[in-house]
This record gives sequence, C-alpha cells and structure tokens, in this order.
Amino acid sequence: MSVTYTIDGVEVVANSTDTILTSATRAGVEIPTLCFDKRTAIYGACGVCLVEVEGVPKLLRACSARPQEGYVVHTDTERVERARKTAFELLLSDHTGDCRGPCKLNCPAMTDCQKYVGEIRDGRYKDAVSTIYEAFPFPASIGRVCPHPCEDACRRQLVEEPLSIAFLKAFAADRIEADGDPYVVQCEPDTGKRVAIVGGGPAGLTAAYFLRRYGHAVTIFDKQPKLGGMLRYGIPEYRLPKAVLDREIEIITNAGVEVHTGVQLGRDIDFDDLRRDYDAVLLALGAWRSLNMRVPGEDLEGVVGGIDFLEHLGHDERPALGDRVAVCGGGNTAMDCCRTAVRLGAKEVYVVYRRTRAEMPASDVEIEEAIEEGVTFKFLTNPIEFYGEDGHVTGMKLQIMELGEPDASGRRRPVPVEGATEDVAIDNVLMAIGQGANCEGVASELLTQRGTIACDELTFRTEMDNVFAAGDVTNRGAGIAIQAIAEAQKAALCINNYLEGDEVRRHVPYFVTQEKTPEDFEDEPKQQRAKMPGLSPEERRSNFEPIYFGFSEEQAIKEASRCLECGCHDYYDCRLIRFANWFDVNPDQFAGQMHKREDKQVVDKVIMHDPDKCVLCGLCYRICDQEVGKTYLGLYNRGFSTEVNPMVPKEASAFCANCLKCVAACPTGAMKSCPSVERVTEIL
Amino acid sequence: MRVVIGEGSCGLAAGAGAVHARLSELFEQDNPTGAELGITGCNGMCFLEPIVDVYDDEGSLHRLVKVQAKDADKIHAENIDDYLAHGGYQAIGKVLREGMSQEDVIAEIDTAGLRGRGGAGFSTAFKWRAARDAKGDRKYLICNADEGDPGAFMDRAVIEGDPHTLIEGMLIGAYCIGAQEGIVYVRAEYPLAITRLKKAIEDATARGYLGKNILGSDFSCTLRIKAGAGAFVCGEETALIESLEGKRGMPRLKPPFPAQAGYWLKPSNINNVETYANVPWIISNGGEAFAAMGTKDSKGTKVFALTGKVVRGGLVEIPMGKTLREVIFDIGGGIRDGKEFKAVQLGGPSGGCVPASKLDTVIDYAELGATGAIMGSGGMVVMDETTCMVGMARFFLDFTAKESCGKCVHCRLGTKRMLEILDRIVSGNGEEGDIQKLEDLCYAIKDGALCGLGQTAPNPVLTTIRYFRDELEAHIDEHRCPAGECRELITYSINKDACIGCTACARQCPVQAISGERKSPHEIDPALCIKCGNCKTACRFGAVVVR
Amino acid sequence: MPKPVSSDLSLIEPALDALADTPGSLIAILQETQETYGYLPMDVMEHISERTGTPISTIVGVATFYAQFRLEPVGKHLIMLCQGTACHVNGSELISSAITDELGIEDGQTTEDGLFSLKHVACLGCCSLSPVMMVDGQTYGSLTPDKAKKVLRGLAAQESEGGASA
Repeated sequence: MSVTYTIDGVEVVANSTDTILTSATRAGVEIPTLCFDKRTAIYGACGVCLVEVEGVPKLLRACSARPQEGYVVHTDTERVERARKTAFELLLSDHTGDCRGPCKLNCPAMTDCQKYVGEIRDGRYKDAVSTIYEAFPFPASIGRVCPHPCEDACRRQLVEEPLSIAFLKAFAADRIEADGDPYVVQCEPDTGKRVAIVGGGPAGLTAAYFLRRYGHAVTIFDKQPKLGGMLRYGIPEYRLPKAVLDREIEIITNAGVEVHTGVQLGRDIDFDDLRRDYDAVLLALGAWRSLNMRVPGEDLEGVVGGIDFLEHLGHDERPALGDRVAVCGGGNTAMDCCRTAVRLGAKEVYVVYRRTRAEMPASDVEIEEAIEEGVTFKFLTNPIEFYGEDGHVTGMKLQIMELGEPDASGRRRPVPVEGATEDVAIDNVLMAIGQGANCEGVASELLTQRGTIACDELTFRTEMDNVFAAGDVTNRGAGIAIQAIAEAQKAALCINNYLEGDEVRRHVPYFVTQEKTPEDFEDEPKQQRAKMPGLSPEERRSNFEPIYFGFSEEQAIKEASRCLECGCHDYYDCRLIRFANWFDVNPDQFAGQMHKREDKQVVDKVIMHDPDKCVLCGLCYRICDQEVGKTYLGLYNRGFSTEVNPMVPKEASAFCANCLKCVAACPTGAMKSCPSVERVTEIL
Repeated sequence: MRVVIGEGSCGLAAGAGAVHARLSELFEQDNPTGAELGITGCNGMCFLEPIVDVYDDEGSLHRLVKVQAKDADKIHAENIDDYLAHGGYQAIGKVLREGMSQEDVIAEIDTAGLRGRGGAGFSTAFKWRAARDAKGDRKYLICNADEGDPGAFMDRAVIEGDPHTLIEGMLIGAYCIGAQEGIVYVRAEYPLAITRLKKAIEDATARGYLGKNILGSDFSCTLRIKAGAGAFVCGEETALIESLEGKRGMPRLKPPFPAQAGYWLKPSNINNVETYANVPWIISNGGEAFAAMGTKDSKGTKVFALTGKVVRGGLVEIPMGKTLREVIFDIGGGIRDGKEFKAVQLGGPSGGCVPASKLDTVIDYAELGATGAIMGSGGMVVMDETTCMVGMARFFLDFTAKESCGKCVHCRLGTKRMLEILDRIVSGNGEEGDIQKLEDLCYAIKDGALCGLGQTAPNPVLTTIRYFRDELEAHIDEHRCPAGECRELITYSINKDACIGCTACARQCPVQAISGERKSPHEIDPALCIKCGNCKTACRFGAVVVR
Repeated sequence: MPKPVSSDLSLIEPALDALADTPGSLIAILQETQETYGYLPMDVMEHISERTGTPISTIVGVATFYAQFRLEPVGKHLIMLCQGTACHVNGSELISSAITDELGIEDGQTTEDGLFSLKHVACLGCCSLSPVMMVDGQTYGSLTPDKAKKVLRGLAAQESEGGASA
C-alpha cells in the first residue's frame, strides 16, 4: 500500500517498505545522512537526517520514520537546520582531518596543486593543465613568475625542501604546447548577457576567461597596446618571455573575447556609458602608479618609478641608463628593476633597502640571482636626498639605519643611526617602493581613501549594483599576480550569480586542517628538490634571454614524485566535508578536547583505520557483520571514548574477507586501504 | 509481637547486621513474649537507620500510604509465607481463579489510570494492549530494575523488602500480554536485591506461583534475573533489551517499538519495578480505588527517595496531587541546620531543579513537566543555599557524558561539549556567550539525540538557566560562586570573633595552611589553602567562613 | 590494550559449560570471569570467544562498555566512592580529595603497593547515608574526610599487622 505525502512542497509517493529518507531521495529531495546504508539495519546514530513533520512534536529521523498519508514534511525549518548543523559541528569539533593539501589551501586561487602534481607524475600533462585551468588560465606564465605561496606551505620542507610546484606547472603547460595539443576553453551556450572588463591584465583576463566559460559575452578595454597588464609590462622578458604570455592570452581571446586596446577609461570610454551599455562591469585597472619616496631631489632627471621603467621594456624600448644605478625598495619589482638595469649595461647597480635581507619581501631566489648577476645590496640604508647637476641626478645621501623594535607587521622597525650617512654617486634612481592605483574615470564614490576601489571582500561587488572590481585596484592595493587572478576568479563567479539573477554571495569553503611537524615525517626518505637548469650568471647578464630552460620530463616526474600526497585520500567522496559546506558550519564554537590516537591496522597491510577521522556511523562494522557475515570490527569503550576496534582473532582469515566493503562504506576517510598495497599493485 | 529490622542496603550500611546478630543472641537467651524477629528492606525512614520496628497489634508507626509494597515493613523479606499471610499472591489468584480475561485485567489497569513509574509516564494499559496484540510465537515481559538515577533507590527498596509483590505484578502482566517468560534486569550495584529476588523466585517456583500451569490454570510463566553490568543508559528500554541479549547497551532506533520487536525481536513489554508493584493492589482493590487517589491525569501513589539537605530523608510513598512543599516540609521536616531551601532536584539526570517559587507545584506528570523537571522515577534531592546550582548542572552533565553510550552524535559529543563549557564556568573561566552556547546545544541535543537519555540530558542545564541564571552570570561575569561551593572561586578564612583558638581546624588541615596560638584566633594562608573544607567541617563554632 | 597474560583457563570452564550455549549470556559469562579472576584477562576473553563462537571484537566491545568490567587487575581493597546526587550534594568531592590525599591515587588508579584501588561508581542507593563509599562490599556512610581517612588507615593497619605475622 502506498502513501502520499509532501516534503518541502514536493509530492512523494512512498511504498510500504519506504522510510521518509528512501522515498524523499527517490523524489529528488536530498536528506543528509552519514550512517544509513540500505544493506544494513537502520541504525540512527548520526542524527543529521532529522526532519520536521507538521503536527508531530518531535523531529523524526528520516532514516527510520515511515511516512504517513498526508504528512507535511519540512527539511528546511530553523529547528531542523539547527539540529543538523549542530551535529556536523560537533562531529567536526573532534575530527582530526586534513581535507586538502596545504599547497592548495595556501594558493589564493585554490589551485589544486596536489592534483596536477600527481597528474604530472603520472605523465598526464593535459590533465594537469586542465586541472590548473579550473583555477586560472595562465599555467605557463604564472608557473614561471609566481612567488608560489603553495611552496611556502608545502610539507615536503618538513623533510628537506618544498616541492618545486610552480615550475612543474610551467613544465606541464610548455609540454602540451610543444606537443601541439593546447588547452581549449569550453564555453557554456551564450547567455545573451554582456560584461565589460576594464583592464586586460591577469585579473581582467582571468575574469574574461571564466565569464566566457559561463557563456557571457565579454569585452575587454585596455589602455596599453597589448593585453597582459603587469605580466607584460611589469615582468621582464628574461623571467616571462612575451611569446609564452601571448600564447596564453590567445587561448583566452580565442574563446570569443572582444578586445579594445589603447583605450583609456575616462578619456576614450565613459564609466557611466559602460554601466548602461553592459549588464555588468568589472574594473580590473591594476596599480600602475609608482609611489613617490617623498625625498628631496626625486624630481631630478634620472629618477624614475620602477614600474614606469619596466613598462618601457614592455614596449620593447631600451631606456638609456648611466653606469651607476640605484634601485630603492626590497620587493620583487625592485629585483626586476635591478636585474634589468644590469642587462641594460649598468656597471654598478645598488639595491637600497632600509632593513636587512631577512626582511626583504622579494623571493629569495630573486635576491640570490641578482647577487649572482653582480647587484650590490646596500642593506640598512635609506635615501634621504637625491642631488644632481644641471637637473640630472648625480648622487644620493643615504641614512644608515639599524633595526629597532618590531612593528605591527612583526618585522623589526628600521631606525636611523644618528648622524651616520653615506654619499653614493649615481646616474639613475629607480623607485620601487610600492605601487598605487590610478582610478581616473571611476566614479569617486567607489574609491577608498588610498585611491583604490572599495568592494566587498567576498563578492567583489562595489556599492554600485552592476559594478565589480578585482585585482591590484581593489581595497588594500597591489599584491602578487596570483592574488589578482584569484580575486578575478571569485569576482567572475559572483558576476555570474548576479547575471543569472541569483543572490550575489560567495560561500567560503570550509576545510578541516591540521598542523604537521618534522616528527610526522621522520620515516620519509630524503630526496633533494630538483634544480632548475638555466643560464649561468655570466650568460644572463648581457641579454634578456629566458634564464630558465624548464624541467626535463625525467626531472619533472621525479620532482612530482616527491609529493607527500597530503590531505585526505577520501576528500572527493567524503560526505562529512560536503555536508559541512552545505551547512556552513562553525565547529570552532565547540572547540574542546580532541582525540589524538594512533591509526590502527585493521588487517595487516590491507586496511587501516584512523579513529580521529571516524564519525562512529558504525557502517564499517555493520557492513562487516550484516553484509559480509564477518565480525572483524566492533566498538570499543563508550561515550566520548568510543572507537571502532579491529580485533585480531587467532585465525584472522576466518574473520576478514578482505572485501574492502568497510572502506567503501565509510562516509569519511577513516577507513582506508593501505597505500603500500596500492603502490605495490601499481608497480606489478 | 514482631520485631523487624530494616536490612536494606542502607540499613546494613548503617549497622543493621550487627543489631540483628545481637538481637538474635538476646532472643535466644530470653524471649518471654515469644516475639518474632524479622527482617525487611527499607522501611522508608532512612534518616533513622539502623531501624528496629516493634509492631504490636496496632500496626505500623507511619502515616504514609502504602500501595505498591503493601506491608513491606512488616513482611519478612525472605519469607514467602509471610507474604502469603499478608494477602500475597491473591491478586494473581483472583485473575486466574475467577477466569478474568486478558482484557478484563487490562481494563482494570486502564480504569486505575496507571502510568509508567520509570519516568516518562506512559499508559501501562496502552503498552500492555500493544504487546498483547502483537503477533509472535514467544513474548517477553521485562522488568526494568536498572534504577540509574543517581539519587534514587525506590526500586531497590521494593526488591529488597518485598520481592514477591514485584513477582506477582509481573505475573499478572505476563498473563495479560501472553508472555511465557519474565526477566528482571537488575543493576549490578544492587547485590542484595539480586540475592533476595533470587530467593523469592525460587520460593515462588517451589510453591507453584511460577512455572507450568500456575495455580492449576493454563497459564505458565517463568521468571529469571539478569544482572546489569553498570550502564545508566540500560534504563532506556531498547538499550536494556540490547544488554539482555548480551550486547553493548546501545539504544535501538524506534520504531519498531519493543511491543512489536523487542527482546530477540519478539514482542516484549517493559515496565519498571514500581509500575509492576502497583498491579497486585489494583487487581485486589479495583482500579477505581486506585484512581480515587491522585489528580485527573496522574493516579495512585508515587514513591520518592527524599534525600539531600532535608531533615528526615528516606522513602516516602504519597498519593499523587500532594505538593512538593508538603513532601519536603511536612514529611521531610524541612531543611537541615536551619538553612534556606533553594531547590529540589527531580528526575535526576533527565530532570531538573525546581526552585522555591514552584514549591506549591502538585505532584502530577504534567504539572511537574511544566516546571522543566519531570516526575522521574522518584529521586527527590533537596538543596539548600550552600548548593551551587551551576555545580549541580555540571554534576549531571558529568554523569550523562560519562554514561552516554556513544552511539549518537548529539549525545556523545554534545554532552561532552556542554560539560566542557560548564567546567570552565565553575572554574571561573566562563566566557561571554557561554549561556547562549549552552542553550543552543541543549535544544539541538533534545531534538537530535537518539534515545531518552540523550534527549533529556539537557534538562538539568535548562532548568538552571531558567531559574538560576543569576548564579550562572555571577560565575561567568564576576568569577564568583554565590553558594560558596565552586572551589576555584572561593576563599576560606577564619572569623576572628568566632574563633576560640581550639586548634581543631589546624589539626585537620592537610597542608598546614592554618596557623595560630592555642586559645587565640587562627588564620588561613590563602596561598597554601587547597579548599578541602576540612577546617569548616572541624570547626564547631562556625568560625570558618567561605566566600 | 592490556598486556598478554597467561591465565588458568580451566577456572572458567564450569561457567562456560553452564552458559556457553545460551544465547545472550555474554554479560553473565564476563561477570563470572571477573568474579573468578578479579578482572577480565585478555586470554580468557579469547578463550570465551573460541568456546562460544562470539567474535573477540564483540566480547571486548561489551567488556569495555560496562562500568563493572575491568581489563586490568585491581588492588586488594577496592574503594568504590559513590557519585550519586545525594552524595554530591553532601560533599562526596571532599571525600574524593581526602582519599587522594591519603593514598595518592585518583579515580581508576591503584596504589603502588597494590593494596588499594579507587573507583568512582554510580549511585550505590544509600542516599540517606550520603556521602557513602563501599570498600570490599562493606558500606561506610555519613562520611567526613576525616572519617574516610580513618577507615583507610584501619584497613592499611590490618594489612601491615597481617604482613608482620606472615
């Protein structure tokens, strides 16, 4: 006999063996559950399938409750939401998981580094590139220039050195390009919506790429003659060959992007027109203004902004420099400037930095290579005056500094040493102490005090409904390319929501994380990081040839094999993390005692159990008992101390069928088949 | 004349065994009136233990109503003849000899309005009918004697003092549902109850009240005891069944209910000791007589274990409908040592604390439920001004967290996290928002926990929040324990005016924190004091002050 | 997990003969085992598993669920301190401290000389004598910290006398 009832307004017909859970699932209404499996008797432990039925005082467990004729069931009431969400939060408050590798979590664009590194290890380069394109469309370019926060977080450094993740990315992209099998952007059918993007740099192009994928028409306006923004005009050829960048831009524009270059906002196009003519506008103007040092003499001839200097190179110009060049600043732009100066023939190049090398924000390798190329670093010095003859700079006075107390950023604050100065003769000064935005043409009410565009940090939407912003031009200002790219990726998603008429919001994904220490990897054999082959310092100094040759295939595979495969093997199948994100959990509010237990061998070298990931749904031991007819697993202790207990009987074979059904049934990554066995099988 | 010694567990603990031995000796030497020496279980007046009752023809000394253990205080707990002499086994006799049908008996129970005395108060007749109507080749009648409320001992007293009443009540129940076997699940902490019940079952079997063709009828029923092994959750009926089957006592999901699929998945009926113990009286005296006592929806009597800071603690059986005030003040004699009444805890870990403003609440399932507490199985622990209500809530959460079986998420982790929050509050580390966090957890656990243990675990906390919010706030906001109980929030000092310098406190101090010359006021060094309270107990002049 | 031991398995045979074939008797068998050995030795549980066909995981699961069962031997005198509500209200915490103070052991621990074990137990049902502790089956009620200590000292004194005469 069947009964008819409704759940969240959907009419459901249930037969006599149905529960609310089974019938609702069939009708397409998802009810979360961790402990239900139709092969086993109903258990009811997880308590996340609760539903509210009108007229029934208690919430019902959908996994066991039988629907009755005319039931009006709700899954979305506040009470249901609270009970379910609390269950997930409680579970996560004692769940020592490690959802994703730190490489991915530390990448602003959340690139799945571990996945593409694995694909490279397996020789699946096209797949690797596709994986990267899920996050952003510049694998070859960013692989070359990114200061790689992924590597900063890589746990391999707890063994010896981090994985060379960025170069692996470039390797995969170069490889498929060389194979003549480039990535092709797949777009959804046209939506008829039009988006204007002002600025064709990494942010603008990334947004264009994603918006095209969503099926929207995209027009890019850029003031420069060519697209690429700072990737083209801020990064020298020897680090990022223009040909590589051109190819990646082409892949994006080939997806059907309308491009207008040499067009400046406020001069050639009007902000209000854009807002009117397009369904949405994304401002990705970048930060092109070199910050002044507010030092006497900086208006002398020969004193220029570092970014302005590099921009000339981007236009294929070779600005003339004197023999002695001073670069002020300690970031990557300063490094680009000083190394470019060397290549332009300057005999003496100084980097003037008011703190020490330890505090320099530039990448270590950049500093190292600059030193190799003959750049002189003048640490703990600060220019207090530039002076010159006939209007041209001839020297600078440096204040000698020392490090004092730490400042708000935690770095020790440089303080002048009273009366200690130094005079240095110079012909040029390149100021690379920072970049500001130039938002001419943008409605002033959208700007922050520092002249950047104010937008919501989650949705990147401005005060104006259809105007979004991304990249260096937003809020706090300039950062590294991958940050700008990440903002654009997220902004594109929000613009898509906006264009589809959805609420403009972005869910910040929740991950379970954990800290590891070198002790956790004591048994890991050491394997040195691959060294990138390239030009010698002597070979580098006189030209703009790319300094790196890229990894060989053998090198790349070996390097990729160093990956420790952090994170949870079960992430993609894990129901706990999926529901955690569904319910937008905040387990920290229930922070308390957490278990720290050893993994257990369930069956010698076949199955492992991680009790700290276990949610005690009981599926493993119930499957073992009820489905397989063995009782190899059981529960141990009670209450908070309860855990799944594999007990080795004297004749193990009589008990375990090695069927791995317990592993498959586990809703989290608590049960897993031993990696060692998988590896052995692969090798065989 | 009869001389009856109270030899329940607490009587024995108080020295009844030695009294018995000495009296036997004396009786052997000289017993001119031919007085009989008998033993019984708890006679209710625990505050006087050990107790020797001397009965002449005028009968008992007390004024309490006695329904379920009719004459327990007169009956020799280990003597079936004594039970028979006091009208024992006449109810089952009436049922079988008068040919009452199952429905006749259940209808009588229905008329009586008997509701489960274990706590939830479900209609006994309803349960019996469900079990009777369930199809099954075998059915079981189970007695829940897993008296887990850590402040109650009513069931223990019945079994120790009058085991045959329980047996008789169970027999009638078994007859009604068609069960061939009865099982009494007794908690392991009650060894004496197990011994007495075992003997009673043997005696009843020997006399033909248990076994095949009872009293010559077609009705056959055996009875056996299963000893629990220490798990509060086994008081939950489905967990109890799991335990009976030799498994971990983890509750099953309902439906199916035990009436359909209980012990070994056969139709089973479960009631607690007191519920069954009421049955013979109802059959003998009629449902209407039972229903004449009590309130509209709560009929008959209820036994309470009145303990705590009350003058006369013990077991009391009262008709439903009396007020808490009557029980605590009229029967219990009010608060000890002239202190102020603060609250009474009903229902143990599943119940709550009822404050002074609700003392006139009548004993009735719905009325008590409305206070946030529950009728419960009968634990009634009285608290005075020196009891910290936050500490009480913590005490019960500590209990439920320890007793949680670990199966469902809400209870396993929810009670743990609530306990952690309460722990930090009583140690002065409470945080703003903790009360809200506790409340949120309470409601989520009530909705989400699998069984009654989990669903009711938040009750002690909720009543504390409801009636004693100011105490919670004092702990959190001011790091102060108004009752002066939370060790990490109090200091001990000596009132110089009251101290006579007797040195009693200093001698009891385990850490030599008290100094002072004999006959001059002493002093406590707060840096050394570990707040053990020895000095306060030792001082006969009330000079030790706790702040 | 307890260390391997070798117990005299024949001691449990009578109980197994009586109960092994009765379904649902595992708890009773374990109670007999504890009665016999003072605790539940691992090898005896394995033996029970073989004799009854109950998987060892199930047996250990039951043994670790119930508060009554011990997987380690206890001291000669087992002090069971009641954790009931009435005892709590009447100061059982102070008694617990006094025992810890006297013997240097906390709940679940055994003294180094193996004489005393302390276990906090669920309500002993002697609420009107609270606070209460039970040592070797003997109940001591209306305790004060001082009284509790005296009881323990008395037991310890008996031991040393017994030791001297032996």
